[in-house]
Amino acid sequence: MPVRYNGLLYACGEALRSLGRNKWMTIASVGVVVVTLLMLGGFMMVNLNLEYITENVKEQVEIVLYLDDESTLAERNELREKLLAHGSLEEVRFVSKSEALQRLRKQMGDVVDGYEGREDNPLRDSFELKTKHPELVGAVAEELAGYPAVADVDYGEATVEKLFAATRAVQIVGLILMLGLAVTAVFLIAHTIRLTVTAVFLIAHTIRLTVFIRRREIMIMKYVGATNWFIRWPFLLEGLMIGLLGAALPLGALYYTYQASLEWVAANNLMFLTLLPIPIIMGELVKYLLPLGTGLGILGSAFSMDQFLRV
Amino acid sequence: MVEASKIYHRYDKNSGYALSNINFIIERGEFVFLVGPSGAGKSTLLKMIIREIIPTKGILKVFGHDVARMPRHRVPYLRRNIGMVFQDFRLLEERTAFENLAFAMRVTGASNRDIRRRVPYVLEMVGLPDKADARVCDLSGGEQQRIGLARAIINRPAMIIADEPTGNLDPDISFEIMHILRMINLRGTTVLVATHDREIVDRLKKRVIHLEQGRLTLDEEKGAYAGAL
Repeated sequence: MPVRYNGLLYACGEALRSLGRNKWMTIASVGVVVVTLLMLGGFMMVNLNLEYITENVKEQVEIVLYLDDESTLAERNELREKLLAHGSLEEVRFVSKSEALQRLRKQMGDVVDGYEGREDNPLRDSFELKTKHPELVGAVAEELAGYPAVADVDYGEATVEKLFAATRAVQIVGLILMLGLAVTAVFLIAHTIRLTVTAVFLIAHTIRLTVFIRRREIMIMKYVGATNWFIRWPFLLEGLMIGLLGAALPLGALYYTYQASLEWVAANNLMFLTLLPIPIIMGELVKYLLPLGTGLGILGSAFSMDQFLRV
Repeated sequence: MVEASKIYHRYDKNSGYALSNINFIIERGEFVFLVGPSGAGKSTLLKMIIREIIPTKGILKVFGHDVARMPRHRVPYLRRNIGMVFQDFRLLEERTAFENLAFAMRVTGASNRDIRRRVPYVLEMVGLPDKADARVCDLSGGEQQRIGLARAIINRPAMIIADEPTGNLDPDISFEIMHILRMINLRGTTVLVATHDREIVDRLKKRVIHLEQGRLTLDEEKGAYAGAL
């Protein structure tokens, strides 16, 4: 049913007016949507970051094979073939010594000035490798040390050991956390479902109240020939606005909470806690919470509409 | 305009017929009184014309369309062509006269410009040119019914249906209302008035259809209420 601009403006006005008129019901409805989506959004935020941190730790683990300067091209090619065919490696990348120097300069700045000439470059050509399973890095590194043209293997033993020790600790803590989270999740999901039903019920009730307050108007509208959709639009919009407001408030709250968390992490130098940047996390939240909120609102009004507004 | 052939109606299977074997034709531009005591079936018949209810048996055609076969989504468009006037006015009392009329126009998708132009014109027609900004609840009963009439004609319907339009009004005021209905009729709009106001029916000398206990007992040109007796 096409709605003219005039009609839409009218419907919005009517919806806003009745939201104001049933102030307490509106607040209750919006409140329940807010609580539901806040719980869901908070859970999503923690979960997304846990995944991100785990991925990040794994990303950082890599093996560097330094090549013997004396090695021949044939030897190097042979090595390359062997690496590419290796079952435990996921990524094989050749880094020339000039590329390594450039990288170093980017990191350290002027300190490395004076090494521009190719001849002076003290660095070595290398292969940077990623293993499919970060836990295998030590074993794989040992094996690769015996390959031709390999001068040295570096997998940041110390770092990796520490990292894994830390990861193990994190994993244990994480396991407990995850267990707790899982229990909470079951609890949350049960509650979210209950809250969702409550939200739909409350919104339906708010709309029903509006229908009741405006029953005279609706009756007159029917007599002067209003179409069903002309009558329904304001109620649908009212539900939609409740849902939108119910989604916008937790999004705002989560935004500020997250920003505060990021600042806290930065202030406490917790560098290993690399959290997702705000735009990404908010993008995810908006993608789920906004449709959910509006969906709840529309569902709520749909429930009360047909039963009351049959022409 | 309205064509009833062998109409029967009962509200549910166990009750008796509220209308039985009703036949009549109302032509374009006619002025018709529908008279009879309470419970004779007047309101049932009017509800049928605006398709609030459909006949149990028989065919009722309004503007050439069989109302029983009319799809639900066409009903609003039928009603836009019929102006309704009620005994209890059925206005939005907290709103102004202007808002009440604008409300009826907006429903049909009229633009604000059309509304600003048409509302004062119609208020003038019903003799209330200076009451646009008055709230309906501050108006007298007669004035409220004029607003009711104005609302009925605001969308230029082909027919006006008035259900006991003077039932709550003094005799003097009642004549004013009937006068306006006659003026509307003279401009070509078909008018159907259900009433049991004997005096008015007798004075206007229009076509009268009598209903009694759900049956059509008399249908006469230039009739009188007394004709039923």
